[in-house]
This record gives sequence, structure tokens and C-alpha cells, in this order.
Amino acid sequence: MEIAVAGTGLPIVDGLSLPAPHRDALKPAERVLTPDGRVCELPRYFYEVESWTVALDTPLTAHFGLWEFMDVDVREDPVMRAYPRYIPCAVAALATALELLRLDVGLPVRIAANGGYRSPSHRGNRVTSPHSWAVAANIYRIGAESLDSEDRIERYRALARRLLPFAWVRPYGTGVGTANDHIHLDLGYLTVLPRGASDPDHEALLDGDAR
Amino acid sequence: MASVGDVATLLHDRIDDLARTIPDGALAVGVADYLSGFAYAYNGDRWFHAASTIKVAIFAAVFDAIADGRFTLDNRVHVRNRFLSAADGQPFRVQASRDADAEVHTAIGRTMRIGDLARHMIVTSSNLATNVLLDLIGRARARQSIERHGLSGIDVQRGVEDDRAFDAGCNNRITANGAVRLLRSIHDGRDFAPAASQTMIDVLLEQQFGGGILPGLPEPVQAVARVAHKTGDISTVSHDIGLVFLPGRPPYAIALLTESAGDATARIVALAAASRAVYEAVAAAGETTWK
Repeated sequence: MEIAVAGTGLPIVDGLSLPAPHRDALKPAERVLTPDGRVCELPRYFYEVESWTVALDTPLTAHFGLWEFMDVDVREDPVMRAYPRYIPCAVAALATALELLRLDVGLPVRIAANGGYRSPSHRGNRVTSPHSWAVAANIYRIGAESLDSEDRIERYRALARRLLPFAWVRPYGTGVGTANDHIHLDLGYLTVLPRGASDPDHEALLDGDAR
Repeated sequence: MASVGDVATLLHDRIDDLARTIPDGALAVGVADYLSGFAYAYNGDRWFHAASTIKVAIFAAVFDAIADGRFTLDNRVHVRNRFLSAADGQPFRVQASRDADAEVHTAIGRTMRIGDLARHMIVTSSNLATNVLLDLIGRARARQSIERHGLSGIDVQRGVEDDRAFDAGCNNRITANGAVRLLRSIHDGRDFAPAASQTMIDVLLEQQFGGGILPGLPEPVQAVARVAHKTGDISTVSHDIGLVFLPGRPPYAIALLTESAGDATARIVALAAASRAVYEAVAAAGETTWK
């Protein structure tokens, strides 16, 4: 069920109203436990993207198109690779954050395949990865530089932390929580409640009012 | 006309002589001729470091996964140069400077078709494509695929360029008999759909590296022969395994494996000479009646 049309021109849908195969793959509004024992709620509202052409033709910011956050490989759930596809609305916030970085460096910032939105059912994904919220990006190249060395990763990490104090950027390394062939940048577990939608936490209150 | 037994004896003597030309080393030969039924092995069950010949087994495992419906040749996969060592689980990379194929390295960060990666793995022996595909299939699944097809003599332990695994003595291995079984499995179409077998053979026919099989054939034969093959070379081994297609007859499968320390010249010469000996044996056997 379409609930709104975003500034992008894309329809916004409530994931809970999608057909069962999509709900199974997207797990909208499902509560999940993070590795450190915290409870997070997966996104409920999604942009509906009719085709790859639509993704190519939909800018999110001056330098980032929607398609850049949707490039996944065969590890993604087949339902999520078929159109229409559904991308959490918070992707626009991620693009805005990356745009700040892009403007500062003055160079193209490239997001890796599987490095934008990955559904919770993606085989290369932890369900609690911020990629499942569409608020994480794996940047593998800035300008002509591949981000595969400690000096480059730490240099751009320092820049990203200065420009985006609200973001988490993984340090260089080979252990858990580090990266050595890209910059992982995320905005935590941000979700977006679009205009025209209800906050699920307040729906119970509405029910109460009705009574 | 020589009997098949005479052909085998003659071939054995020639291969035995060639083996002596590889100082402190080893030679193994496997042959299976589809025309005459002639089959022969020298050191057929001796294990060798597989080097890049293991890519044929991974190639077959890709098609096995396709037959299982896990993906198609048109599906795309993320080209990421980060793999976990079979020795200790620590990450490692394939160095572009040590890879015969540069094209796949230019795709790092993006996706490529599985079919294109498979082609790069075989035709230009891309190490990066090999590890990306093995990562996709999974080592355990690749091993299961080999076991399911009864391909003893093929041992997939790890990706390529995994130096820590190499230092720990964990290597991909192959025998001449295993290589011939693998080639026959690909050719026969028993284990794969006919279209898949043909696709695999077509890719092997595009091989860019010379190896020893084709150079060992008589010059006039080289002009008309088509060899669907894969070479394998590291500092201590030189191999060539393939199917030799000659006009007007079914092919023969051949595996030539050599090992020695030091200079590769003796190994390379032995490969070509062994190929010539096998060709002459197969030609002779083809004129006999198989008993």
C-alpha cells in the first residue's frame, strides 16, 4: 500500500503491507538483537523502485544516485533482486551524509557492490548490520585512490569523522569491527518516518484513543 | 600392427626415460582415448601441488552449483579482493603484480558476471577470479561437488595465493588419474547437462597459455589440433591437462604433471616430449582393435 510520494518522486510503502515473500525478506519493523545485546527495530517504510532505470534516474543528492546504494550481487535474496525493489527511506539521509564528504574532497566517492543497502536476508549480511537500515556505505575508492591501505583509510576516516561527527567509521584493521579494503561509514540504526505514516510506537496510543 | 599392450609398453618405456630427465623430480602421465579406449597412467596416483590446474576443478564446481540452481552464469558477483586464509582465517589479498590477468583487478569494488569470472579463471588463469568464485561456492561445497562426481585424485584445500596456507603445508593437490577423471567428467556430460559440458570445453579451448600438450604434437598435427586445456606453473611444478581434439576422431584426455626444484626448463621440455609420446601411442592404439 502506497502511503506517500517522496521528494524523490518515488512511492513510499509500508513494508508491513507488502506480500509475504517481501515481508519475509525485508522483515519490516522486526525487532532484532545486536551483538552487544541491544534491541533495534528494522525499517518499516521503503521507497518502491520500479526498475533499474528508475534507480538510475533518481538522484538523492547532487552527486549520489539511488542506484549506487542498490548494487547487490547474487548473495542478495532473489526476491530482493527482482523489481519492484524496496529501499529503506533512510537511504536519503545516508546520501546526504556522503554528499558532505563528496563536497569536501571534490572527488567521486564510490560505494562498493553490496556496500550500500543489503536486505536482512542478504547472505553476506548480519541482520543487525546498519546496511540493513540503508544507513551504511562501504567506500572502496575516492577519486583514483583505492581505499586498501592503512594510510588512505585512516586519512579519509579522520576526514569523515570531522565532517560527520554523528557517523561511525571503522578503523583500519583485519579484526572484527575494522576494515582493510574499504571505509565503512554508518549512521547507526537510523530509521525514517515519512510524512503520512504513523509512528508504530504510537499506534497503540491511537488504538487506546479509539477505545 | 601393434597390440594395445605393445603400445602401452612402448609408451611406458618412453615416459620412464623422460622421467629420468627431470633431476630430483617427478613426472606423471594420464591418458584416456575415446576412440580406442586406450588408457594409461604413469605415477597416476602420485599427488602433486595442483598449481593452476585446480582451477578446472573449481570451474566444474561452478557448473555443479549452477545445476543445483544456486546461481546462473549471468548472475553477478561482487569482485572483492579479500579472502580468508585456509590456515588461520586471517585475511589475505591476491597481488595484482602476481596475477596473470589484470582485467578482473580493474573490477574490484564492482560486480562481474559469474560466467565472465569463470572464463577469466580458465582462459587467462586469473587468481582473483578463482578466489572470488571459490568464495562464492564455498570450499566445503566445492569439495562435496568433487566427491559427488567420484573425482578421487583432486583435492581442493584453499584459494590461490594463500601464502599462509602454503607455509602451513595446506595446498591444492592433483594426481594424473584425478585430472583425467575430471576431464572425462567434463567431456562425457554424465555429470553435467550437455550444454554445460560444451560451454566448459569451449572455454578450455580458449586457453591463452601454451603449456606442453600442443607444442608436443607433430607440427602438421598442431595446425589442426584443438586443445581444451589448463596449465599450472609455480616454482616447483609445471603441468598441463586437457582434451585433445583431432579431426575425424573423438578426443583423448591427457594429464601431464611434473615437479622438480629449480629451473623449469627440464620440466617444460619433458611436458612436450611426454605429449608427443602420448600422441604417438594414441595414434597407434587408434589403429588397433581394443580388447
